[in-house]
Amino acid sequence: MKRDVVVTGLGAVTPLGENVSETWTSLIAGRDAEAPLELFETKGCRCHRAATAALPSLDGASPKALRRLSRASRLAIPAAREALATAGLLDSAGRSLLPVLPLSVSTTAGGMAFGEEFLRGILAQKRSGLLGTVARYLPEQQILDLQIALGFEGPSIIIANACASGANAIGHAAEMVASGMADCVLTGGFEALTELVFVGFDCLQATTTDRCRPFDLKRSGLLLGEGAAFLILETPENAQRRGAQTICRLSGYGHRTDFFHLTQPQPQGQVLVEVMRQATDSAAIAPRGIGYINAHGTATPVNDGTEAQSYRTFFEDSYDNVRISSTKAAIGHTLGAAGSIEALFAIQALITGELPPQLNLQTPIPEIAGALVTGKESRPSPLHTMSVNLGFGGSNAALIFSRNEN
Amino acid sequence: MKTNLAIIGQGAVSPGGIGAEALLRGIPAETMVPFVSRPDRTWPVFKIKLNAPALERWQKEPRLRRASPISYFLVEAADQALAGLDTQARAQTGLVVAFSTGCLAYSRRFFESIITQGQKSASPALFPETVFNSPVSHVAATLRLEGAAYALAGDETAWIAALRTAWLWLEQERVEQVLVMGAEEFDSSSLDAYRSARWLRSQTNKNRFIPSEGAAGVLVRKARPEDSVVISQLADGFIFRSKAQALTAGERCLKDFEAKLPCSLSAQNNWLGVVEQALMRDRPSCARASEPPYLGEAVTASAAWNTLRTISFLTQQQPRILFPIWGGTHQMGAMALEKITSN
Repeated sequence: MKRDVVVTGLGAVTPLGENVSETWTSLIAGRDAEAPLELFETKGCRCHRAATAALPSLDGASPKALRRLSRASRLAIPAAREALATAGLLDSAGRSLLPVLPLSVSTTAGGMAFGEEFLRGILAQKRSGLLGTVARYLPEQQILDLQIALGFEGPSIIIANACASGANAIGHAAEMVASGMADCVLTGGFEALTELVFVGFDCLQATTTDRCRPFDLKRSGLLLGEGAAFLILETPENAQRRGAQTICRLSGYGHRTDFFHLTQPQPQGQVLVEVMRQATDSAAIAPRGIGYINAHGTATPVNDGTEAQSYRTFFEDSYDNVRISSTKAAIGHTLGAAGSIEALFAIQALITGELPPQLNLQTPIPEIAGALVTGKESRPSPLHTMSVNLGFGGSNAALIFSRNEN
Repeated sequence: MKTNLAIIGQGAVSPGGIGAEALLRGIPAETMVPFVSRPDRTWPVFKIKLNAPALERWQKEPRLRRASPISYFLVEAADQALAGLDTQARAQTGLVVAFSTGCLAYSRRFFESIITQGQKSASPALFPETVFNSPVSHVAATLRLEGAAYALAGDETAWIAALRTAWLWLEQERVEQVLVMGAEEFDSSSLDAYRSARWLRSQTNKNRFIPSEGAAGVLVRKARPEDSVVISQLADGFIFRSKAQALTAGERCLKDFEAKLPCSLSAQNNWLGVVEQALMRDRPSCARASEPPYLGEAVTASAAWNTLRTISFLTQQQPRILFPIWGGTHQMGAMALEKITSN
């Protein structure tokens, strides 16, 4: 028997803000966080800009403790703490009220900056003082940091399905709750900018030297970003028992692998169409019920045309009803965190009715032009919103959030 | 777990050889590999020869031409575990693979070229293969597994998270069966990492620590009356950050398993072995999954190999075995394996 799943907590650290409220206000105002990248040298790259997040302060952490935390953990801990706080699961000392709290999270690079430091060290034939770097770069170390900082333990899963990971982590958490495996799950994703990943996308010529222009005919590549977002998912009964306020329902999840190519989607976008169908089927709604989509929209030449085609195919006659935008022009592509941050934006659109505008648009791709959110736009009562993500290896995922039923 | 997970297929690639049988009988050959930080010093390693015919055949697949060694280990082990499954059944098969360091050799090569030759020399052919889920994608595409597919990261206990994921997908009726795998590839930078952690202290036969590589997997489905081997209990999520905490985490993890259940011992030959000895002192041990033959240490691949070895210890006299999973960097876990005898 499948149980309903509701969202009761939200938290985020993004290049637009240190929490959900700051981020959302800036996003809706049409601001972007693109700036020269100063975290590491980019002299040999084509692209020198990214969307960097300001690290929130961690109350009570000593300078030594802060030095031991990876940048990824510095992003993840405050975002997870905010999610616990909004769900009413944080005590006055800033620790989880639940000593056992299952965790479903995503990342693609974990604490890679520590791994880079380790490799630099051994190549320089350094023979001591390296344990602190190599021991802390693996993704489970950020999970451990999170668990220790917030005071809980329990089964955890780290999904590393490239840029769809964040959606997978949330979808997986929803399935844990729906199946009865857990009553309440902390879920989300985190990613910190690192040189290896930045240079990787740069050498693929996937990053742009222009503005990031999702769904534009003149798009030339993506803007990399970083951040973290977390949600609390639970059953309505569990939320009611705790006296927690329900933000919305997580009603649908679809995911599948596109076999076409390691880094390119199948040109007709058929797999994404199937994934969206899985999601609407599991939510038991028709496509026309979806009022807004936070699209993947990387602004790479290969992705956006295919994605636009997928939406056209999926919505058929009801295409005029949906509004679409990609928020990657504002916060960058946050890779393993993208699915979580963008799911949070889909939730915010659902509960506020405000829609994030599509930034940097000059000449929209014709297949999607009419559906793009071009300026300040609101839709007072969308019943359902969707978040869509695609990743290397052909990972495709879609999540649907729905208004609470009265 | 409301439903037992039945194991209906097995596959392995290890330094002992190709196939699950080699986990019990293969004698791995040592290769002396230099440290990156000290090219004048070497350490024994169990490396898999990529020119073995079973692995070479996959290197000719167009999709796998540029793939990393871990992809060849995975696809071969997956192919063994899927033996007999037709195209229709494969379309209903999910795939979940646990990794610790994943495509480490390619990641190291990619970043080393940036450090030594500059960012302009970064290889666009190499970068996509450094991503955790690239080998998962290769396996799914090559063997046409059309169900859900996840790449998981973590220590040895990611193997338990992978099995739990399979159970979830089966409960949700997303797929008919799930191929659950663990895989690692060796890179010489691992030697420096293990040396930093002081795990490379002893080379005596009793307490050797030899880095290794390979893959293994089990094909699982919801247990049916005709199935003979099942996973009936999973436990994980008991975290630690010190040896003392590891001991108490292990105690808490094992308390839900019957005290008299025979154990399959499998801890790494480092400080975890000491923890295992302390925790298992009062429990009957059925066998040591990690010897003989000793196949070396390969994190999630070791967890998968030792699961297959533990299955071979199941007998009518010993129909249920506790198999603890000693995570090296995060948490403790365990599972119970059972042989079902039909009446």
